[in-house]
Amino acid sequence: MEKIANIMVPVSGHKIDEEAIGLACRVARAGKGRVYVVYVIEVTRTLPLNAELETEVKKGEVILDKAERVAEEVDYEVESELLQAREVGPALVDEAIERGVDLIIIGVPYKKRFGEFNLGKVAPYMLKNAPCRVWLVRQAISD
Amino acid sequence: MNIVIMGCGRVGARVAAIFDSEGHKVTVLDIEPYSFRRLPANFNGTAMVGNGIDVDVLRRAGIEQADAFAAVTQGDNRNVMAAQIAKHIFNVPKVVCRIYDPLREELYHTLGLETISPTNVGAQLVKDAIEKA
Amino acid sequence: MYIIVAGGGKVGYYLAKELLSEGHEVLVIEQSAKKCEQISEELGSIALRGDACETTTLADAGMARADMVVAVTGDDEDNLVICQVAKKKFNAPRTIARINNPKNEPIFRKLGIDVTVSSTNIILEHLEAELPTHSVVHLLELRAQGLEILDIKVPPNSPAVGKLLKDLPIPANSVVSLHLSLKHGPSIPKGDSVIEAGDAMVVVTTPENEARLKEVLTGR
Repeated sequence: MEKIANIMVPVSGHKIDEEAIGLACRVARAGKGRVYVVYVIEVTRTLPLNAELETEVKKGEVILDKAERVAEEVDYEVESELLQAREVGPALVDEAIERGVDLIIIGVPYKKRFGEFNLGKVAPYMLKNAPCRVWLVRQAISD
Repeated sequence: MNIVIMGCGRVGARVAAIFDSEGHKVTVLDIEPYSFRRLPANFNGTAMVGNGIDVDVLRRAGIEQADAFAAVTQGDNRNVMAAQIAKHIFNVPKVVCRIYDPLREELYHTLGLETISPTNVGAQLVKDAIEKA
Repeated sequence: MYIIVAGGGKVGYYLAKELLSEGHEVLVIEQSAKKCEQISEELGSIALRGDACETTTLADAGMARADMVVAVTGDDEDNLVICQVAKKKFNAPRTIARINNPKNEPIFRKLGIDVTVSSTNIILEHLEAELPTHSVVHLLELRAQGLEILDIKVPPNSPAVGKLLKDLPIPANSVVSLHLSLKHGPSIPKGDSVIEAGDAMVVVTTPENEARLKEVLTGR
């Protein structure tokens, strides 16, 4: 496998994020690469895209702070970014392209919807549209 | 009474048959001639193929002389449009419009159309039946 | 401006594309998942899947802050209902409906739609302009003012030929605003402008006076 220099980890605030960040740090360390942790605020159409969403921003900052602490625990420094967009998936893909990331590691909670396992919207979108590799870290069912 | 009915589905055909049997002059419109199979064999009214949201078709169906107009096709929007044409363009004295979507029904009801939502009515009937000991 | 386009067919797609390039915020509401996906792929996150006739869809679309709703689905009845719901439920400042049957134009107007666009009528107007038999071409309708702008060609057999403009019985509420003379080119008409065969006049008038005006300038 070619050298991995830039890794993006989209986070949502779910605890599976921590595993994805930990894994990203370990992989990055091997290649002395960077880790970007990204949280996207999805803005409903009832508001303009540049609306000031205080509570949402605070929530995002808390999630990113937590991500940074998780990285500190494994003694690695990450960059974090808060984005505001209409849809999470396309915003993440754009960001990945812009930053030239080589790998996206995304944590997937084990969730059921209407009684069936559901991957959500973002992970499938990334799998379909991200230009680089995408790794999924699925939460253990027992968690 | 002179009645024009748009839509010869189960409800349209039934309404047409009842008024016809009571001696009223009934014209029933549908875009699909096959729908007229639902009319009883002894139906004395007029069955006409045509789109009820077309003013020319409505004129041909005799809307200008109609005392009542009922819009009962499967399409909520078609019913809404035809009913408004009947009421506001041809000034038909009595216009009834079926709208399945309860929210749309509420809106057009407040706008002055006489509307019926089979969804609301049906749900209420089912609920009442369940609650009746 | 924030513009909501209802209907993601060809008309909706190209309309959205143009509006975006003019710098507007655009949202396309479309029922088909496939069309939504195509629009998102090509134009970005500007598609919302849903039925634009439903109040809840329009609420999600941020109808309350929209400056304009353009309903361009292929069905007149859907476009009517979309515009009416937008207008009555959300007080949309401006509603534009595409219509297929030109006869629906006055009906939509009567039912409160601000502007209607009929592709059938547009094609007919172009045909009018192309066909020599049509001596009167409708250039523009100023509906709010109850006025229209006509381009009238003066045929050789017209009673107006050789006369001065001031001697013609131009009906009231009509202004001849441009004289396109075959000999002298365009000019602002004066009372002593001489009307010649083949000239064209651009006239502002009311729909009621159109027939009379046509008679005065073309003899038909």
